[in-house]
Amino acid sequence: MTPNTEILGPARNRVDGPLKVTGRAKYAVEFEVPRCVHAWPVVSNLAKGTITAIDSKAAESAPGVLKVLTHQNAPKPDEAKSKKKEVTRASGIRIEDRNPLSDDQVHYAGQYVALVVAQTLEQARYAASLVRVSYAPEKPTLTMAEAAEQAQEPKKNQEENVQPKKGDVNPALANQSLVRLRETYSTPTETHNPIEMSGTIAAWEGDDKLTVWNATQFVKGVQSLLARTYDLDLENVRVICPFVGGAFGCKGAVWPHELLATMAAKVVGVPVKFHVPRKEMFTATGHRTPTSQTLALAATHDGKLQAMQHVSQTLTSPVGEWTESCGARSTAVMYASPAIRVEEIVYPVNVATPTFMRAPGECPGVYALECALDELSYLLQIDPVELRLTNYADNHPIKDVPFSAKHLKEAYQLGAEKFGWSKRSAQPGSMRDSELLVGWGMATCTYPAHKMAAAAKAILRADGSATVQCATHDLGTGAYTAFTQISSEQLGVPFEKVTFELGKSDYPFGPVAGGSNSTGTVGTAIHEVAGLLHQALAVLATKDPKSPLHNLQPNEIAMVAPGRIGLKNDPLKSDSYADILQRAGKESIAVESKLEEPEENEKMAFQSWGAHFCEVKIDPLLPRVQVTRVVTVIDCGRVVTYKPARSQILGGVVMGIGMALHEETAYDPHTGLPATANLADYHVPTNADIPQIDVHFVGEPDFAFNPIGARGIGEIGITGIAAAVANAVYHATGKRVRDLPITPDKLLS
Amino acid sequence: MTPFTYSRASDPQSAIEGVAANAQAKFLGGGTNLVDLMKMGVETPAQLVDINRLALTQVEELPNNGGVRIGALVRNSDLAEHQLITARYPVLSEALLSGASPQLRNLATTGGNLLQRTRCYYFYDPAFPMCNKRNPGSGCGALEGYNRIHAILGQSEQCIATHPSDMCVAMAALDAVVRVQGPQGERTIPFADFHRLPGATPNIETNLRPNELITAVDLPAMPLATRSHYLKVRDRASYAFALVSVAAILEMDRGTIRSARVALGGVAHKPWRATQAEKKLAGQQPNETTFRAAAEAELAAAKGYKYNSFKIELAKRAIRQALTTVATMA
Repeated sequence: MTPNTEILGPARNRVDGPLKVTGRAKYAVEFEVPRCVHAWPVVSNLAKGTITAIDSKAAESAPGVLKVLTHQNAPKPDEAKSKKKEVTRASGIRIEDRNPLSDDQVHYAGQYVALVVAQTLEQARYAASLVRVSYAPEKPTLTMAEAAEQAQEPKKNQEENVQPKKGDVNPALANQSLVRLRETYSTPTETHNPIEMSGTIAAWEGDDKLTVWNATQFVKGVQSLLARTYDLDLENVRVICPFVGGAFGCKGAVWPHELLATMAAKVVGVPVKFHVPRKEMFTATGHRTPTSQTLALAATHDGKLQAMQHVSQTLTSPVGEWTESCGARSTAVMYASPAIRVEEIVYPVNVATPTFMRAPGECPGVYALECALDELSYLLQIDPVELRLTNYADNHPIKDVPFSAKHLKEAYQLGAEKFGWSKRSAQPGSMRDSELLVGWGMATCTYPAHKMAAAAKAILRADGSATVQCATHDLGTGAYTAFTQISSEQLGVPFEKVTFELGKSDYPFGPVAGGSNSTGTVGTAIHEVAGLLHQALAVLATKDPKSPLHNLQPNEIAMVAPGRIGLKNDPLKSDSYADILQRAGKESIAVESKLEEPEENEKMAFQSWGAHFCEVKIDPLLPRVQVTRVVTVIDCGRVVTYKPARSQILGGVVMGIGMALHEETAYDPHTGLPATANLADYHVPTNADIPQIDVHFVGEPDFAFNPIGARGIGEIGITGIAAAVANAVYHATGKRVRDLPITPDKLLS
Repeated sequence: MTPFTYSRASDPQSAIEGVAANAQAKFLGGGTNLVDLMKMGVETPAQLVDINRLALTQVEELPNNGGVRIGALVRNSDLAEHQLITARYPVLSEALLSGASPQLRNLATTGGNLLQRTRCYYFYDPAFPMCNKRNPGSGCGALEGYNRIHAILGQSEQCIATHPSDMCVAMAALDAVVRVQGPQGERTIPFADFHRLPGATPNIETNLRPNELITAVDLPAMPLATRSHYLKVRDRASYAFALVSVAAILEMDRGTIRSARVALGGVAHKPWRATQAEKKLAGQQPNETTFRAAAEAELAAAKGYKYNSFKIELAKRAIRQALTTVATMA
């Protein structure tokens, strides 16, 4: 069969929609595990110091309390000392290196210092309030300035070079005949805040079998990590997570609560549930680090970039390594320039450990670069879209290889047309809607195409139904629906007859649901297992004298139509799945694909693109920014299922509007305690903050990237939108706010 | 949450007796604030006396004078939509609907909203060591801390928290009267005297006496209170506490302001009646110059801190905008 070259897949309703809206979708901590007891944490109220004493007597004698775990009595499982040392891609992710309750040191406010286990949640919570912890406090390091001496310049972030450069930026940046700009943009700490908080139910069977129901983006990683931590055989650790209520990165790594729940369950001898409280979601499962990014640009008077320099300064914690690679993922990728220089500096401070959050690096990096380009467009008096077209990169600027299927020009064109960009008056403050200032801004968005390794199992039944399994995840993104669609197409089984199963470590390997890789990676595994299934059917058919395919070579045979395999070069010679199985007397057949590292194509660069166009309206007297229109056009290869894909872009844009206008985890400047650690004070957009968002897709399936043609869609929507909003705010007011979020106070003067 | 006992009162007298019998007892109304604070460990009552079954749920016209009496257990959503309120005191309806979310308004009561406690971060989270409200004498963490949402008028070195209610700002402008019942019988408290400025005792937030129960709020007759507006400035379009809010009522007489009632929210430890602004407005023409003078007069004594100085300018602008809106009403 020829591959589907349509850019838009069908607009499927979510296959898990009925379960979700009727409350039957079971999230990790909702599983009813017999004899399960509850844990509640005690956290540090200071950012740095040594625990000198813990008085847990009152807590221990409180009703229902089974155990108060502290560093003095907690088991010390240690992955680093594991005998099960196989380090593979399946080994799981740790961002915070320190094991909870491993010693008396406090590295940040909110660090777990004890865990109370009791029969009921309220008993545990009350007893936790009775634990008295004494400290020898030390002065915490809380700012970049205070941490200057500990600054590090990371060379690599995972495998990626994070200090890339090309040519020499200095001559152009010093050249007074060029149009030059140097500005610093800052973003605050942002916290993921999925509606489903992280949580774990841990149940031991003896000492060597462990089951965890765990809210996670990586069931196989949790399985592997726990197996090593407790020296267990991999198959004796089961991880179950059929639904995830949002994650955005905070459920990708293994955090202290997973270790605490499993430790506690081992100690008390019955299953333990630890559902991370909302407040601790701000300190114990990561956040997006604040950034300070300085952009220096130099361009000719007709707008050709001659040099781009991007220096990012970010924070990490003393016990975790995190690099938010802003410049490497924006300035090193997006525009043609003869000289590019990206630098990163990371400062360890006594604040909880940051982690990846939706488009880590790209999201703040594209914000800063796209604001700087907007500023440059005013200096040059060139339309912002025109400036981007002037510096359009057909090749990857650093790798100097072509992009596989880049359709960004079409995205600009369609976006501008749908938005009505040609009617924009360039002068800031020149557009009005009666009393209100009107601003139109735009920005490019981009996200790389990542591929990882996955395997899948397919079961085809004589009744025409099929089940496909992979230990992948649906974070609320619509993955169930997308994989059902891919399975239907690849297997040749009607959509309604396919069941896709995920979220269990029992299934073949699926990678972390991160980096927008799942659709392409798992889709490729489904493609492979479909080929194996067709071959298995071909073997049956060619041995069957009653089959039209009898005595042909199985390798000449492939799927020729849904439900039929046949001769590749003579599709009229074919047989149906149902007939083959029926004649062979088989109820079903099952095949499983092999887990193999994907081939890397070094001759091309794979990247998704898009453009946001945004309108804001602002009352000049009381300047709260209201976004009134957004048009977003995305080029992400094939869109497997239109409806959930569009929703992913909507969600990214909404989150990006939040980044632009609302979100900030603020800290007390003296104690380092988070001040806005709840959903009343940590503002995300409400419905009233969000306008109609018009989403379009352009481009072509990217078959050079993978056989599904899809490059993934989870993260690209959030990149660039904060810049589009900030640029619109400048266009409306003439005031350039370079410090997110753009709250009313910043527009008052 | 600290363990507590629970009882349900059937009439005000037994509720008052129930609370009086235990020094650590509290009345439980809608619970939207109290239960939240109990979970945070800020409030630790040993007993809750549930008053939700008391017959204090009516909104009714007062005999003779045309005023309205609001039962203490009238829910915010019911009050906001009540015909007597939308017709006679639309500023109160606007204020209520600008607060919280529909779910919270469905539970929150009139009496409870009078006692809503501050959203000051340093008060709300006992992890912060300093708060003179929670722990008198411990100091004010906000004074030198992250004080973006804090007070600019009437604060003290001991406390710079603000009162978070929108409803109360409108009631302050409307000269409401709070009716209470206690062990010594019933009494009334003018709205301006109900809440206190922090002074040296920010832990004492109202002039309620021990074991007194709010039974109703009376709104005096105000035939011209329909020319009014509640303006709330916040960080997002909905579901956020006010950075600054203004309740404004203008009584006009042939193109001149006969009298003005202005109250501010988000700026002080109590709903702030803007008497300086009112003086500047009375007898004047309703124009930009007048409104500017009123705003300047009210904020003349304002003092900002590291993160909240913007509120001074914002409050001035909000006053001007609210007055302009009211003045240009048909």
